[in-house]
Amino acid sequence: MRYFLSSILKVIPVLLMISFIVFFLVRLTGDPVSLMLPETATDQQREDLRQSLGLNDPIYIQYFTYMADVIQGDFGESFRYNQPAIDIVLERLPASFTLAISSMIIATIIAVPAGIYSAIKRNTFADLIITGSSVLGKAMPNFWLGIMLILILAVQFSIFPVSGSGTIAHLVLPSITLGTAIAAEMTRLIRSSMLEVLGSEYIRTARSKGLRETIVVNKHALRNALIPVVTIMALQTATLIGGTLITETVFSWPGMGQLLVQAVNARDMAVVQAATFIIAILVILSNLTADLTYRFLDPRIKYED
Amino acid sequence: MTEPLLDIKNLRIRFRSDEGTVKPVNGVSFQVNEGETVAVVGESGCGKSLTSLSILGLVPSPGEVFEGEIRLQGKDLTKLKKNQMRKLRGNEISMIFQEPMTSLNPVFTIGNQMTEVIKLHQQLDKKESINKVVEMLDLVGIPEPERVVRQFPHQLSGGMRQRVMIAMALSCNPKLLIADEPTTALDVTIQAQILNLMKKLKDELNTGVILITHDLGVVAEVADRVVVMYGGEVVEEAHVNEIFDNPVHPYTRGLLSSVPKMTGSVEELGAIQGSVPTPSQMPKGCKFHPRCPIATDLCKDEHPNLEETLPNHFKRCFHMEGGSIYEQHKRETTT
Ligand SMILES: Nc1ncnc2c1ncn2[C@@H]1O[C@H](COP(=O)(O)OP(=O)(O)OP(=O)(O)O)[C@@H](O)[C@H]1O
Ligand SMILES: [Mg+2]
Repeated sequence: MRYFLSSILKVIPVLLMISFIVFFLVRLTGDPVSLMLPETATDQQREDLRQSLGLNDPIYIQYFTYMADVIQGDFGESFRYNQPAIDIVLERLPASFTLAISSMIIATIIAVPAGIYSAIKRNTFADLIITGSSVLGKAMPNFWLGIMLILILAVQFSIFPVSGSGTIAHLVLPSITLGTAIAAEMTRLIRSSMLEVLGSEYIRTARSKGLRETIVVNKHALRNALIPVVTIMALQTATLIGGTLITETVFSWPGMGQLLVQAVNARDMAVVQAATFIIAILVILSNLTADLTYRFLDPRIKYED
Repeated sequence: MTEPLLDIKNLRIRFRSDEGTVKPVNGVSFQVNEGETVAVVGESGCGKSLTSLSILGLVPSPGEVFEGEIRLQGKDLTKLKKNQMRKLRGNEISMIFQEPMTSLNPVFTIGNQMTEVIKLHQQLDKKESINKVVEMLDLVGIPEPERVVRQFPHQLSGGMRQRVMIAMALSCNPKLLIADEPTTALDVTIQAQILNLMKKLKDELNTGVILITHDLGVVAEVADRVVVMYGGEVVEEAHVNEIFDNPVHPYTRGLLSSVPKMTGSVEELGAIQGSVPTPSQMPKGCKFHPRCPIATDLCKDEHPNLEETLPNHFKRCFHMEGGSIYEQHKRETTT
């Protein structure tokens, strides 16, 4: 518990940094006024809008006003949607979240057994097949895999809907598309981590006790082999939630990736800022989860604080 | 004559790789009787650990036993199926490994790792096996065993971990105990305790012990017989008193003279010249000849056999009948 509180405290400076970066980056990329007003607007109109948005104040004042609002959850209005930016972002969150989690589940279901198996069958035909497939899985571009899946499973055989969202069936193809690359990466990680662990002295000890190989592998080796994998996977999840533009576009999936890119193109500053913030918080949260899992898996950590 | 507990005959282990084949154990033979402690000594890299791992069928891949027999009470272990071998491990044969810091699994408690082997080989339930663990930890001199049961390896010092390993190896009353440098991480008092414990076990249960060590003091104290290895072979084997009083092989003599004797002067501390050849660059002929003070042309070309020159005293050397040549040679070169 104390650990939990202390890590929450550590998060605050990170969030401040992010707010700082987001704030200035957006201001450096161009004049929002010229985007919000038509070409024909007069200088007077521009100046009025500038004044009303507070863009004439010194930059640090702007920052503090901005932060004061942010703390209350107010990221300003999206001028494209005429709604509070935060609402627009949060509306997209469930879709992104669902897709991220289901891709991770698919990846894990494939990668854990495949990684273990190719490690214990190292340098055999089976290992070759698994390692080969993971190279392939990693190399296949998402848009291509997505389109292939649509062509075969949606168009040809009509098993799954072509695109959209709303039902579990809609979730399947985009999850496979995203899950494949992650499964490939994860398999490779588990394989190499497992190989390293299997060569260690405590595994030799476990064997010398007369334990069955399945216990040696699934109890003694796996628990150790997963330790480095967990961190990377948690970060991967965060990236997924943050946006998977291509897959979202291919499947018309209403996620954060789409939203963010549209907002950047339109210079919808409020939405960009809100989205970046939410993504940052998600990354921090998944880091925390990774840390907690790490602690659960590795008893050595607790005592090193 | 009764059958020995363990009979290793002409054991050979090879590692094949793209760079070629090396044979770090190349024709090792020795026996261990019930209730007997056989010390295996020799410099680093001479194949002691590999020999002992092969008894458990745990030679790390790509290494393999490609020739020879390892008989435990007559049964050839090299011919056993995997699950037959597994039933012997930790039960009839157990091993204390050389590396105490890394030989325990970091993510499981001591209790978990110890009960595992007890539950496996003895028909005990959970509570009984925990009691047994506590008893064993107590036996090897671990203070507060009830607490240690719940601790993780990283919470213990190297010496404590080594004692846990020893307790674990002894917990199923093995017929054969292989101890690879069991006391190196321990201070002298603990070392004595552990050696006593091993002695006791040997006397009470008639356990045969293979004791691998660099410490000739330990050898003198607990061994019945000594096997001296060099370059993957046995170069001398004899009763412990014979080895200390009448060492025949020049290598054994070198080893003995590199031990500071309690009474002896510092001059006696003359270690063997040169260094151990690696398995890939073993010299032709007698493997020890480049470092041997009495090597002749014969030693460079021919490989000597292990011969019983005195009763129950084996040596692999062309010269040396009771050491007279050596003594003579030494006298000649020093004057
Ligand atoms: N995986 C391997 N591949 C090739 N050679 C190996 C391998 N493992 C061990 N060897 C060789 O086997 C030889 C004997 O090793 P072993 O561990 O049995 O020595 P040792 O007598 O126990 O030495 P120490 O006293 O240092 O423990 C070493 O010289 C090493 O080069
Ligand atoms: Mg060794």
